[in-house]
Amino acid sequence: MPTRTRPSVAGLLAATLTAMALLLVPAAPAAAHNTLQAATPARDARLTAAPTMVTLRFMQKLDPAFTTIAVSDAAQRRIPTGEPAVKGTTGTVTIDEPLSNGTYTVAYRVVSTDGHPVQGSYRFTVADPTVTASPEVTAPVTSAAPATSAAPGSPSPASSTGATEGPGPLVLVGGGVLLVAVMVAGIVLLLRRRRSS
Amino acid sequence: MTGTSDARPVSRRGLLTGGALAAGGALAGAATVTAARPDTPGVRPAEAAPVAQVGSAVEPFHGPRQAGVATEPQAHAAFVAFTLRSGTDRAALGRMLRLLSDDAARLTQGRPALADTEPELGLLPARLTVTFGFGPGLYRAAGRDDRRPDSVVDLPPFRVDRLQSRWSGGDLLLQICADDPLTVVHAQRVLVKDSRPFATVRWVQQGFRRAAGAEPGRTQRNLFGQLDGTANPKPGVPLDTAVWVPDGPDWLRESTTLVVRRISMNLETWDLLGRADREVAVGRRVGTGAPLTGTGEHDEPDFAALGPDGLTVIPDFSHLTRAHVTDDRLRILRRPYNYDGVPTADGTADSGLVFASYQADIARQFLPIQRRLAERDLLNEWTTPIGSAVFAIPPGCPPGGWIGRQLLG
Repeated sequence: MPTRTRPSVAGLLAATLTAMALLLVPAAPAAAHNTLQAATPARDARLTAAPTMVTLRFMQKLDPAFTTIAVSDAAQRRIPTGEPAVKGTTGTVTIDEPLSNGTYTVAYRVVSTDGHPVQGSYRFTVADPTVTASPEVTAPVTSAAPATSAAPGSPSPASSTGATEGPGPLVLVGGGVLLVAVMVAGIVLLLRRRRSS
Repeated sequence: MTGTSDARPVSRRGLLTGGALAAGGALAGAATVTAARPDTPGVRPAEAAPVAQVGSAVEPFHGPRQAGVATEPQAHAAFVAFTLRSGTDRAALGRMLRLLSDDAARLTQGRPALADTEPELGLLPARLTVTFGFGPGLYRAAGRDDRRPDSVVDLPPFRVDRLQSRWSGGDLLLQICADDPLTVVHAQRVLVKDSRPFATVRWVQQGFRRAAGAEPGRTQRNLFGQLDGTANPKPGVPLDTAVWVPDGPDWLRESTTLVVRRISMNLETWDLLGRADREVAVGRRVGTGAPLTGTGEHDEPDFAALGPDGLTVIPDFSHLTRAHVTDDRLRILRRPYNYDGVPTADGTADSGLVFASYQADIARQFLPIQRRLAERDLLNEWTTPIGSAVFAIPPGCPPGGWIGRQLLG
């Protein structure tokens, strides 16, 4: 007569935890893609002096042919800059004209070493006290145009190309909670069945 | 038959315990599946032609221009390149081309070739065309290098090239196209046999598109799933301007040129690219072929349009941006065929495109586009040119004439 092996509670728990860990750890491709590591001016920075350049450092080496860095103002007008100077993982553009006070968006489009395009954006604010305040400065948040209604740094809704971001953190957390709930229910039911048999 | 009528009852508990892990996995997968669903096709193809009409349809062989260029692309193609034997001089070339022209004239009209060993296979032309191309070596062998169109020379090397000799070069090309694969194979057999005394087979590239009538009037899709050929010059004046040499001596007038490139497409790495990323790389929507700034396949792209973040909507490294030309004199007529070889044991695909480009002048039209693509097209990440050949496509011939007479006669 064949013997039925019963999984021990500890073994079952270990297996469940392993499965959960495997499911919840970010998928490998996401880690393999280029991401922004550091920026000057920094994300959401509030500067008292207008910057003359923007420098972005990425996780992977940049290809000058596939690197774009754009600066635009609150009215979504492009600010004239030079072509990006690429050095290793860093790309820099110089801003041709002095920036007046206001909120600016830095957007980048680069390519991972495996060819995957990556793009994103963030904002910073220039609030130089020595310069006469412009309307944008007095109300930097409310002056945001409808198209930039997304939180600073998150991909804007209109850029369907959102090459980089997977499901948002909330989705992941929600999914994780559901997963755990389903698995716990399974374990509880299994234990109850073992007891009753 | 319904799926539940004879199903065994499943206990709620068993379902919950046994299915817990599976359900968890399915939950995690659901988001990806939803995101990857393809667009619903917008247009239903028109009524397909009856099959009998496909087999008996005929393309003219005789005329001032060769067929198989402006001809609506047939479903199947074989590009056959030959190397001339060392003894094949101008007189021998004349004999060869008389013979091959006669074969082509008969087979394209649904008549077996002379001494056809399988005459029944010659009865259904299925729009068969046989297009003759002359490589640089043919002009040298004929002692007529002074009559070679200037732009018919080997292409300069490009950074992205990984050319293999087994797919490159050739003194003579026969582009054999028909809507029936058996017709193509039979024509190829007849023409290769009759070439034997004069030339050896250098390479053959076979390709396919959708079956005849499957998608009439639609741009073909390549194996990346992209519409391929949207920017072709429209039939009529634009195509004539782009493709045919309007004047010059009689061996050039009504001629054109052909570039054949074998482009290997890496389906394994392309598979790792999400739909949105693919559209960024190409500059067009996968489903409709519309530029990222438009809604219809033939909408003019707006390369200056900025997104809310200040980036151009169409990336400057996209294939569309790099390949785009608006002047008909600079356009090329792309007439490509897909190829799909045997996968390796681990399932790695051997797939790609037999890229065939017709233009009046390779240097004026093809080269600038190819330079821009080689320099900065993101699509190069997933595509590799592994073969390259250039040919002059001489003028056509009248009934009783033969292709190449103006050059060799």
